[in-house]
Amino acid sequence: MKKYWLIFRLSWQNALTYRLNFVMWRVRSIIGFLASYLFWLAIVNSNQNIAGYNPSLLLTYIFVSAFLRNLVLSNVSYGACVEIAGGDLSNYLIKPLGYFKYWLTRDLADKALNLSFFSVEIIIFYLILKPQIVLTQHLWLFLAISFLAALLYFFLSFLISTYAFWHPEHNGWPFRFLFIMLLDFLSGSSIPLDIFPPQIVKIFQVLPFSYLVFYPNQIWLNRVNTNQIINIFLITSFWLIAFYLIFRLVWRRGLKNYSAYGR
Amino acid sequence: MSVISVSNLKKYYRVYKKEPGLAGSIKSLFHRKYEDVKAVNDISFSISEGELVGFIGPNGAGKTTTLKVLSGLLYPTAGAVQVLGFTPFDRKPAFQKQFSLVMGQKNQLWWDLPALDSFLLNKEIYEIPNDQFQATLTQLVEMLSLKEFLKVQVRKLSLGQRMKCELAASLLHSPKVLFLDEPTIGLDVVMQKKIRDFLKDYNQKFQATIILTSHYMDDVKELCNRVIIIDKGQIFFDGRLDQIIKKYADHKTLEVIFEGPIEKPDFKIIPDAKISDYSPPRVIFSVKRRLANQVAAKLLTKFHVADLNITESSIEDIIREVFTGRDLS
Repeated sequence: MKKYWLIFRLSWQNALTYRLNFVMWRVRSIIGFLASYLFWLAIVNSNQNIAGYNPSLLLTYIFVSAFLRNLVLSNVSYGACVEIAGGDLSNYLIKPLGYFKYWLTRDLADKALNLSFFSVEIIIFYLILKPQIVLTQHLWLFLAISFLAALLYFFLSFLISTYAFWHPEHNGWPFRFLFIMLLDFLSGSSIPLDIFPPQIVKIFQVLPFSYLVFYPNQIWLNRVNTNQIINIFLITSFWLIAFYLIFRLVWRRGLKNYSAYGR
Repeated sequence: MSVISVSNLKKYYRVYKKEPGLAGSIKSLFHRKYEDVKAVNDISFSISEGELVGFIGPNGAGKTTTLKVLSGLLYPTAGAVQVLGFTPFDRKPAFQKQFSLVMGQKNQLWWDLPALDSFLLNKEIYEIPNDQFQATLTQLVEMLSLKEFLKVQVRKLSLGQRMKCELAASLLHSPKVLFLDEPTIGLDVVMQKKIRDFLKDYNQKFQATIILTSHYMDDVKELCNRVIIIDKGQIFFDGRLDQIIKKYADHKTLEVIFEGPIEKPDFKIIPDAKISDYSPPRVIFSVKRRLANQVAAKLLTKFHVADLNITESSIEDIIREVFTGRDLS
């Protein structure tokens, strides 16, 4: 356990080595937040009700999405992809160290760091923008589902990294890029998914991506009843287990394939 | 007792072949041809405790592949491999705590942090007790003169300094078995020498079993009593370095410095003397061992000779001949 705690601390040290780099990263996150906030603000000013969202619900959705982006979608473990493609994976495989746990630790460290900065930023924005925030009645459930969502994203992202075992070209970026593009839309991190027609919402409901941002958000917004909450937890857990099992299978096959040839 | 034993090891890779040019690229989008590359093709050897063995061979001979199989990175296509009584590919922590692999072209140190941070991480990873860690670190810092570099960001170190830190990081858990893949690559002569001296020292002090691959003959000549020469995935020679000369050097080298003008065709009268370097007044001949004296006598009688030297071929020459596929018989 001690080794992972040290990895956690080293990750912070590493991230804070380049102050400018870190500041730019935060600026990027802030711009993303402001852009979608101001966009929706303009819309709610002319329409008072959009697909069941009144202005304060919608603006809260954006605030909560910003939180979930920092908790769930922040991720440094895409580095695994580069290490698999480039052969640096070898450095870990020869040591008594779990590669999966190593990146999980680094991701946790990254999320913790992002969240601590985010909490300061969000308070500042709250004071400046003064939106009417909807408070949740299910704080603990919200935190619990957010945690599961973060884990789900980690598994999903790690699974995508294993793609580099078979396709090391461009460090596995072609596929990851596509994934990130799709994710931004499918997770509902900038648009509440239920403003789309019900048939499309049904598809979102089956896919795992909406459980990363959209459904946790719905729990915060008190827009789901007890049955729906149970469903959300069940489906998230199902995907979590499914991805974990697929990951284990793929990882084992990937390692056999890891020829390390010239890498 | 043998620490490492390898029998009938084979490792084949499947690689895909692309025809050159854009047309080939487009074709490869639809249909890919795969081919088996026999990186290691049926090799066997065993190494005892405390031995320092050199692996030599041209690029792509299978040296690195063999080290990777021994480290558990590659799954062998066929054959049996045992290191310290373990099967490497199982990657048991008990095994991993007893060996190290150093690749001259890969780094395990955290790039943006001082080397000492990576050392501390290795301490936790290998679960090295505090006192042992301090003692080993002090020793390594002294042997490699690392003191000033420990707290410098790794990216700011020179290649040689970084290589020394890499070595130290790999040795903190006092491995019994050490695999070194081109540890001196890209280093200047002075630094190469330092690393060599260190490895020699380390081997003697700790009775560590070491396998080393290198392109630099000096590394091998100075460090290894035993060499394994690999070419095209097969063992070509396994034994003491000086035996290579006995076994393969059937030529001697005659270095002659002439007095007065000479012409290349002049030497046609002695057909057994093959010119291997012609830069008058110095000419170097390569002569069959048993004819050496005879040829020397002829040269002395037929020409004005200022100086004549008969030497054995150097190891470099022999190995070069081996690898360029020249007939040695």
